[in-house]
Amino acid sequence: MTNYIIRRLLLNLLVLWFVASLVFIGTHALPSDFAQKRVASTFTGQDQTEAIASARRELGLDKPLARQYVEFMGELARGDLGTSLETQESTWAELGRRVPTTLELGSIIVFVTFALSIPIGVISAAKQNTWIDLSLRAVSILGVAMPVFFVAILLSLLVVRFSLFEIDVVGHPHLWTDPEAAVKLYVIPAIAGGISGGAGIMRILRSQMLEVMRQDYIRTARAKGLHDSRIWVRHALKNAMLPVLTVMGLTISGIVGGQIILETMFNIDGVGRFLFSRLNARDFPPFQGTVLVTAFIIVTVNLAVDLTYAWIDPRIRYT
Amino acid sequence: MTQTQQPAALPAAGYTDFRRRRSVGSTLRRAGALARRNKLGAVGVILVLLILFVAIFSPLIKRYDDTESFQTANPDFNPTANPFEIAANPGLASPYILDRWESPLGSDHWLGTDQFGRDIYSRIVVGARLAVLIGVGASLIAVISGSIVGLVSGYFGGKIDLVIQRFVDAIQAFPGLVLLMLIVSIMDRPSLTLMIVALGFLGFATSVRIVRSSVLGVSQAAFVEAARSYGATDIRIMLQHVLPNILAPILVVFSISIGAYILAEASLSFLGLGPADKTTWGKMVNAGRVALDLHPWESVISGAAITLAVLGFNLAGDAIRDELDPRLRGR
Repeated sequence: MTNYIIRRLLLNLLVLWFVASLVFIGTHALPSDFAQKRVASTFTGQDQTEAIASARRELGLDKPLARQYVEFMGELARGDLGTSLETQESTWAELGRRVPTTLELGSIIVFVTFALSIPIGVISAAKQNTWIDLSLRAVSILGVAMPVFFVAILLSLLVVRFSLFEIDVVGHPHLWTDPEAAVKLYVIPAIAGGISGGAGIMRILRSQMLEVMRQDYIRTARAKGLHDSRIWVRHALKNAMLPVLTVMGLTISGIVGGQIILETMFNIDGVGRFLFSRLNARDFPPFQGTVLVTAFIIVTVNLAVDLTYAWIDPRIRYT
Repeated sequence: MTQTQQPAALPAAGYTDFRRRRSVGSTLRRAGALARRNKLGAVGVILVLLILFVAIFSPLIKRYDDTESFQTANPDFNPTANPFEIAANPGLASPYILDRWESPLGSDHWLGTDQFGRDIYSRIVVGARLAVLIGVGASLIAVISGSIVGLVSGYFGGKIDLVIQRFVDAIQAFPGLVLLMLIVSIMDRPSLTLMIVALGFLGFATSVRIVRSSVLGVSQAAFVEAARSYGATDIRIMLQHVLPNILAPILVVFSISIGAYILAEASLSFLGLGPADKTTWGKMVNAGRVALDLHPWESVISGAAITLAVLGFNLAGDAIRDELDPRLRGR
């Protein structure tokens, strides 16, 4: 087991190195850089080439690519995610301000995702082929097909048309500072993100539940006279959750993508919007740093998922 | 007169000759039976056929140009108005008014007009062609590149496999949307081709995974062993013996992911990173947000178009998977 974990951690390092290289190559392949963007926005003279060149020198963007790459890797090895070219603040500081917001929204989305998908998946399977099952399946199929921003737009329309509440777009309320404003701000993105994230899980869970309920051990459990609810939860759901866990990495990746869209749509100053704005400003150090942190989370979740397998399903042993 | 009677070649029991020509009637009957068995799949196929029809014939069935701004003569137009009058009543200045935000069914514009007075119906029809082009194009790129790499990775195994799989891990460790944003930004004004290639690159990782695991299953088979024993080269074994046996999962991956590419493109377009100078549904959803409370039609209609297209391709893809390779269910 320990050997397995060590081997996986080393492989994850290799993966992160690939990600870092990919994002480095990607950002440096872009035709415009921060120097150009800055000069274009501040310099009104005729000839910008000189100004761009001096801005590049000042920002250290004129060094040879290979050297920049080695420096970038060196910084990463020391745990330094670089400094924003625009605000001159370290990426860690920029992230530190926004991570609470994103975690706040993100954990609500994850909660809604599972609060919707697990009961619906189980009920759908329990009532197989009844009208309840059919309508729940229709909802999940639609949920997979609808873009997250469209769900959010439909929900906003609902709120506006029936004047349910007003969203205060000024300020950044948190659940712990101004709960009411925060709930109003988060409710639409949270439900939209939850529907988009949960729809796929709902479908996997339903088909897995049906599969599991046919197994011998369920019949055994019935035969020993266990209560139905205990069978569904302890025997069936636990086994049906395995494939759902498998796609956890993808689910997280989808939620991150959804957060970029939702935070941008609803003007929520979180990591997703930050990532998007840094790319648009061609402010690469914080962009690269944020991508790496996200990739780190995703590979760690994947590792954690593989390890929980062994805990959920004792037949699986890692060597 | 002697006639030599040729014995009719009898097919062996249980042998189906797939090359046999079927009559149109029997093909339709088979399709009907399939549709009855898989009703959702039938809905999907109908939606896909509808979208393909719109996409193929879009120049014929669009009613106007997708970029044409409609305007009507301004009854209040006064060419002799002085600047003070215009400042008090700006309506006097221009000879024409844009037909902005017309409601569906209310006028000559079936689905209404947008903020620039452009016909929404025509824009939806033009967007359909783009959506299909992007979805199918990206899926083709993903499947072809993914099959080649997956075949090599699964067949040779060892170090090559290890490196390729970690590279695939790296692509999948990126949140998909971030990777797309990065690739698309390579051009200041992303082109349609770049868009398709970017989406194909993202799907490449998934294709490699599935093709590789199918190859692993097949390459242990006895016929591969046999081919190797009579000295067939690796390339020959891969192309002649392994590839034909993994065509089903490849076709499934191809058809099942088209919807996801359309969805991803819509997200990028929505964020303003879509193909430049093209009318796409994602851009329309975003454009409609400026007046969502008063004129929700543009966003709602284009969002519904995305949903229906993705739904159709997803359902049809699911049906193809269930027919060809039910083991891939839940992937």
